[in-house]
Amino acid sequence: MTVPSTQTVVYEWLRHDKKFPHVWCPGCGLGILLGALVRALAASGLTKDQVALVSGIGCAGRLPVYVDVGSIHTTHGRALTFATGIKLSKPELTVVVVMGDGDAMAIGGNHLIHAARRNLDLVAVVVNNRTFGMTGGQFSPTTPMGAKTTTALYGHIEPEFDIAAVCATAGAALVARSTVYHVDRLERLLLQALQKKGFSVVEVMSPCYTNFGRQNLMASHVVMMKQLKEQGIPVERWQKMSEIERRGSFPLGVLVDRDLPGYLDSYREVCKTAAKLRSEGKI
Amino acid sequence: MAARKRKQSPQHEDQREKVRFYPAWCKRCGNCAAFCPQHVIEMDQWGYPHAVRTHDCISCHMCEKLCPDFAVTVGEETPSSVSRRGAAGPSPGTEGSLVSQDHSPERLAKTPHPDEEEHD
Repeated sequence: MTVPSTQTVVYEWLRHDKKFPHVWCPGCGLGILLGALVRALAASGLTKDQVALVSGIGCAGRLPVYVDVGSIHTTHGRALTFATGIKLSKPELTVVVVMGDGDAMAIGGNHLIHAARRNLDLVAVVVNNRTFGMTGGQFSPTTPMGAKTTTALYGHIEPEFDIAAVCATAGAALVARSTVYHVDRLERLLLQALQKKGFSVVEVMSPCYTNFGRQNLMASHVVMMKQLKEQGIPVERWQKMSEIERRGSFPLGVLVDRDLPGYLDSYREVCKTAAKLRSEGKI
Repeated sequence: MAARKRKQSPQHEDQREKVRFYPAWCKRCGNCAAFCPQHVIEMDQWGYPHAVRTHDCISCHMCEKLCPDFAVTVGEETPSSVSRRGAAGPSPGTEGSLVSQDHSPERLAKTPHPDEEEHD
């Protein structure tokens, strides 16, 4: 895979009329994801006209604004529904949906599991920073138990959602996870998800220092990045580890990769059957 | 550190521009300095990064990829980087810098470049 340089990415794929540097906090993982996503798009050989970027609300919702492709910034949690409409009306487009963890699991949790069940040919990038970063650090469904947030001053009392496990159970064709620290792996996984036929989910673990790290006594986002580096373990090694060793860490890489009947094919078949019956005058 | 004591050869002079920064987009997060495996990058007293031991650079592109703001470039100079070289160089506000301390990053980012027209 040829890796395009930063210069190529900035000058060919980012919108020059948008204000740079972008809105995210210093050291935010979303900037790293933006670079990785754009490099993966460039490496996949797609042109700008063949890609549609959809996002919901939140810090991650700002991402498509910076990329010079057809993009839509939709309502909270409903990015996947808009993407479904785009894909059904224009199946030739590669539709990438960028969501945060609050967007994907809290408000849009229902849409995520049903999009995975339906197995429409979409790429869902779920950025998991374990908090509602934009609104001031309230707990989200992926906040770990015991963590302090604005709305859980004495420690969070609910267990967390495992986004990858939920999507795998719901029926996604490809489920992968990476962190923004493991940026090469992230780029490879995004490329694989772009080329995969079927619903692909890439969970991206990202640090939120401003609204999560500071409340949990982490010294800086660099410390959070180093934590991600230690917590993320390649899935091959993860499978050989015991239950106790796994505590506090998570597997990285392709967790599920399977070929399932796609919604688009079934939909076309139904359309053909209906047209045939209509032409025969049966309906 | 063993790598630091390595002898310099004449061609190392040419590599001075190998790691380049674009301070107008830099938010001083420090990812580039923290995660460089060869410790090539250091932060100055204002928090802006600069390359100190470029002859140790192994071109792993880690700083470039971990920079959330596209403010680091590793490798050969391209026409676009040459055209923006005026904005690069010393940290904003310091001696010899063309960028004032209270610079407007937006205005700098909007400056049209000759090779940009074809993409618009």
